[in-house]
Amino acid sequence: MGSLTEALVLGLGSGPVCLAACGPALLPWLGAEPRELRATSRLLGLFLGGRLAGYLGFAVVAWAAGMALPLDLRLRTLIFGLANLGLAGLLGVSACLPHRTCPMVASAREPRLYQIGAAKRYRPPAAVTLGFFTGLNLCPPFVAAGVRAAATHSLPGALIFFTAFFVGTAVWFIPALAVSPLRRFRSVPTIARMAMAVLAIYYAYLGVVGAASWQLVPRQSAQLVILISGMVTHA
Amino acid sequence: MPDQARSIAPQSVRRIGRSLLLTVPMALFTLLLFTPALREPERPAKLAALITWAFMMMLFFQMMRTRQTYRWRRIFFVALGFLFPVGFIWDLIALRGSMSIPVERMLSGDTPFCFMVIPMTLIPAALTRTIIFPGSILPTPSNPHSIAIMAALWILATVILGKAWCSYGCFFGGLDEGFSSIPKKARLRKINPKWRLAPWAILVAIVLLAAATYEPIYCKWLCPFKAVTEFSEVRSTQTAIQFGIFNALFLGLVVVLPYLTKRRTQCAFFCPFGAFQSIFNWTSVFDIRINKEKCATGCVLCQNHCPTMAIDPSSIAGGKMLSTCMRCGACVDVCRKNAAVWHIKGTTVGIATERARLLYLYAAWVFASMFGGAIIANSLQKLIGLIV
Repeated sequence: MGSLTEALVLGLGSGPVCLAACGPALLPWLGAEPRELRATSRLLGLFLGGRLAGYLGFAVVAWAAGMALPLDLRLRTLIFGLANLGLAGLLGVSACLPHRTCPMVASAREPRLYQIGAAKRYRPPAAVTLGFFTGLNLCPPFVAAGVRAAATHSLPGALIFFTAFFVGTAVWFIPALAVSPLRRFRSVPTIARMAMAVLAIYYAYLGVVGAASWQLVPRQSAQLVILISGMVTHA
Repeated sequence: MPDQARSIAPQSVRRIGRSLLLTVPMALFTLLLFTPALREPERPAKLAALITWAFMMMLFFQMMRTRQTYRWRRIFFVALGFLFPVGFIWDLIALRGSMSIPVERMLSGDTPFCFMVIPMTLIPAALTRTIIFPGSILPTPSNPHSIAIMAALWILATVILGKAWCSYGCFFGGLDEGFSSIPKKARLRKINPKWRLAPWAILVAIVLLAAATYEPIYCKWLCPFKAVTEFSEVRSTQTAIQFGIFNALFLGLVVVLPYLTKRRTQCAFFCPFGAFQSIFNWTSVFDIRINKEKCATGCVLCQNHCPTMAIDPSSIAGGKMLSTCMRCGACVDVCRKNAAVWHIKGTTVGIATERARLLYLYAAWVFASMFGGAIIANSLQKLIGLIV
């Protein structure tokens, strides 16, 4: 119970940093999506679900690798590079082809048609994928939580710790719903899509640099270990 | 014929007299601003201040005499845009021998602060009480362009003038205005109006990325004016890419596109600070309106002449400019029906328009003389020093 409270407080305390880290991907994307508060809330929920999946997936892989993964700078650089490339691709597609990434929006606007021919392939909702990629882009508070979770000495315990931490940070994402009323300005979706295009270029650059240079990065950094232990102490 | 000549003469004499009377208060006030420079022992400083003061007053007098704003303001603004880099680069070379700034100097807070950073600092400052810029709060001998001075000047000008900052205060805008003034006709005329939204998109992107990375992203990656001011020393692939981006954006947005379109393309389609400044058009009491009773011909001269595409058919129909209007006065000067008019909020449109223009110009020109005039004088001093 004590560790759960600790995880929740850690999440609540570092939530603004998490929001700032995910904001560039989330906020323009919400701005380009449907106007109604309920639809925006649903998308935010899907995004957070995807983010949690990214967190937990990383945690499980890290656990399986004996917690060496978060401290292996080389692998981290590669994973972040690939995650950034995924993020860039998704943002780029959302910016250029707004209805392709969100089938829900298209179906809400178009009349129901009987489908002739092969059924469409299932595509996971873009919000989940976006959340998943941002979840893989580990922000400093998450790394701190990861190191603290490792001290629980059991995988289920660590996952519960992570989930509680995630719930703490998720509270800070509620103000993102304020994007929804902005949609009454006709130009907001266009601005949001243009912003996504700019951000896609930025993430693509980060992704290319990460994917191209990961072998040049030293495997372990003593400074990082000190930094993480410092953060844990601070938290 | 002699009767006609007699009637014209007093009219022009009266106009000159009126213009002189209106210029005198401005001349006296700005003389006070230039007094410290005029008392400098060095001759180039004294001469530069005198020339700048005379230049500013000549332009103001012409604004009064011709009742035209845009033409004379443009002369000042282009002079500011082209002279600012001269003085700035001169100071940089004198201080550190290069236009590039090494990381060590950045870390010691020697980077000159520029108003472009203001929107990017807001979220990090609110979250952590930290200004994410490697400058100094108060002026130091190695960095006189401090954060506090620039922020104070910006707040003062913004509250009163709104987005007119982009026509009277920005020391970069004069460059693309200068290049856009060169051709007689635009070679690229069809511009998709959606591009007007691009500065907002860049503003959103840089503000969010600045909050995520705690870095002034625009200065680091996107500022076209780094090409003519100061940039990070090229020591790595990343800084080389940044240097390439600055130069490509400068050439494209500040030189080539303004020349082809006769618009201020950097200001209209790229500058995130301009978008941010648009918000403050709400705080300013001055604006430009279209008197719908007089605007019946649908000539759209104002729309065609607006350097930032801040007028479209819907804004003409509504009698108001778009939020991106920089109050440069091009539309008012070009309107043959006197339908585009200066206006003070809360008053009737089309009544006492010249009085509204005068009040606006007094405020704008005092600021232009104080801020832009000081920059012009500083650069002139360096150039005069080469001769005298």
